[in-house]
Amino acid sequence: MTRDRLEILAKKLMFEMNDLEYETLEREFEIILKQMDLIDGIKDIDNVVPMTYPFDLELDDSYLRDDISNNEICFDDMKINVKDYENEKIKVPKVVG
Amino acid sequence: MTNKLIDEIRDALDSRLVTSDELFDESVSKAYKYQDKFNCFVTILDKKKEKKGNTVLQGIPYALKDNISTKGILTTASSNILKDYIPLYDATVYKKLMEAGAVLMGKTVLDELAMGGTGTTGHTGVVRNPWNEKRMIGGSSAGSAAAVALGIVPFALGSDTGDSIRKPAAYGGVVGYKPTYGRISRYGLFAFASSLDHMGLFARSVKDVSYVMDIIKGHDDRDMTSLPDEDISYVDNLDNDVKGKKLFYIKEAVEIDNDSEELKLILDNFYKAIDECKSLGMEVVEVSFRKDLLEAIYPSYMCISCAEATSNNSNLTGIPFGYRVEGNNVNEIMMKTRTEGFSELIKRRFVLGSYVLQKENQEKLFLNACRIRRLIVDNMNELFKEYDALIMPSAGDIAPLFGNVSDKLSDEYLILGNHLAIGNFGGFPSISIPSGFVNDMPVSVNITGRAKEDYLVLNMASKLEEALGFKGQVKVDE
Repeated sequence: MTRDRLEILAKKLMFEMNDLEYETLEREFEIILKQMDLIDGIKDIDNVVPMTYPFDLELDDSYLRDDISNNEICFDDMKINVKDYENEKIKVPKVVG
Repeated sequence: MTNKLIDEIRDALDSRLVTSDELFDESVSKAYKYQDKFNCFVTILDKKKEKKGNTVLQGIPYALKDNISTKGILTTASSNILKDYIPLYDATVYKKLMEAGAVLMGKTVLDELAMGGTGTTGHTGVVRNPWNEKRMIGGSSAGSAAAVALGIVPFALGSDTGDSIRKPAAYGGVVGYKPTYGRISRYGLFAFASSLDHMGLFARSVKDVSYVMDIIKGHDDRDMTSLPDEDISYVDNLDNDVKGKKLFYIKEAVEIDNDSEELKLILDNFYKAIDECKSLGMEVVEVSFRKDLLEAIYPSYMCISCAEATSNNSNLTGIPFGYRVEGNNVNEIMMKTRTEGFSELIKRRFVLGSYVLQKENQEKLFLNACRIRRLIVDNMNELFKEYDALIMPSAGDIAPLFGNVSDKLSDEYLILGNHLAIGNFGGFPSISIPSGFVNDMPVSVNITGRAKEDYLVLNMASKLEEALGFKGQVKVDE
């Protein structure tokens, strides 16, 4: 694992790391890649269906509820966590060009 | 009084020997007393009037891990990126406990964003082990474990993605329970790895765990992974006869090629616990499990959990809410906010998660980890056709000294140090109960059972707890 590669991954994740942090990460990757060889070493698993939840979920109709507003947040509660607001509207940095 | 069992506290409240205000004051005063030394809490609360719940928990103080949403109360996940975050809504567990009349007294320290196992990475500092402050209590639910061990509260909630309740419970000499996946609603729990995350709790007896579980379990429309309601009381089933129940332990996990005296003592303690099971009429058998799968538990867990965490935490941008560092454009704001907001450990875990999700690695790492997860769970379910539960030492060590273990990955590998993640892979109910002491530190055994048979795991654990004699254990008994 090269430093350049790690920097690309960090940039994709939208943060920067310093030299010391990269050195630790490089050492850690050496170990984790070795451990991940244990995953690679288990053969004949191509036909195993990857498990993404512990067991089949017993979903009833309730997870697809009618599209009715049932949980409104009042502005006074909401404004506690925002940096800036005006006339009951939250001001955020310009996101779209 | 807060260091007693729930039955004793209930009796004292009902006979007016103590009021809930006095209990709350005692709990908060202990929390402040121990805060400098052990650092259990991010926030210690002023009392709010409890609701009339008419339940066993009416008027009893408790604590929540600080990754559980509480409307109007600071909830930081022990991360700088959420250091000022005040939720707009209540987690379902908090609501249920409030309606039951239980009184929240504080929010406990965790490893940042619940991604760690040492209790050392929270943004407000290190949590220390009540039994020896030179040792860690483990994590990520570090503050909740320490608060129960110190007798500050009779119970505290936590979350468990790999072993984050059961391991600190073992190191802290208290009971730690992670129920079946979906048994407790996760609505309001900050997600770490959604397919592995469980809500659970610490207490000082299996009965106290059961009292709380009977109140907080149940279906929740706001969590699509929550299980349907079950018409069963865990407390009412604790005294069922366990004679004839069949347990197994894994041969490959306890066959250690290691001359550690400490490990030998831990295994001696475990075999004594097995003798107690046998004296209760349970059958305990050693079985063999594929070693290559056991050795792949930790790397598979890392692949799955880091990948899910990378995705789950992508909402922490500084744009819609929370901590924000200003910049000239949205990219600069996100870059600066995330760079300052996350600690080094979190960044390393996210990079790992992103690496396994890259197109060229997905098949070989992420999907193969998910395949191994299925093989392990299938193997366990096969064993559960014959046996009622797995019994194992909760850990292969006592609580580590600070400096001896870190969150940097090590190439030392011990199956005994990682087997608890099997419970998360398969969503199996799993409990750690104190079983004695090694080198003056608490050790523990773990019982893991079939999914959705929480009552049986609690029943067997309760019987074993009585036999082992560490029920109600607390470090500082005032």
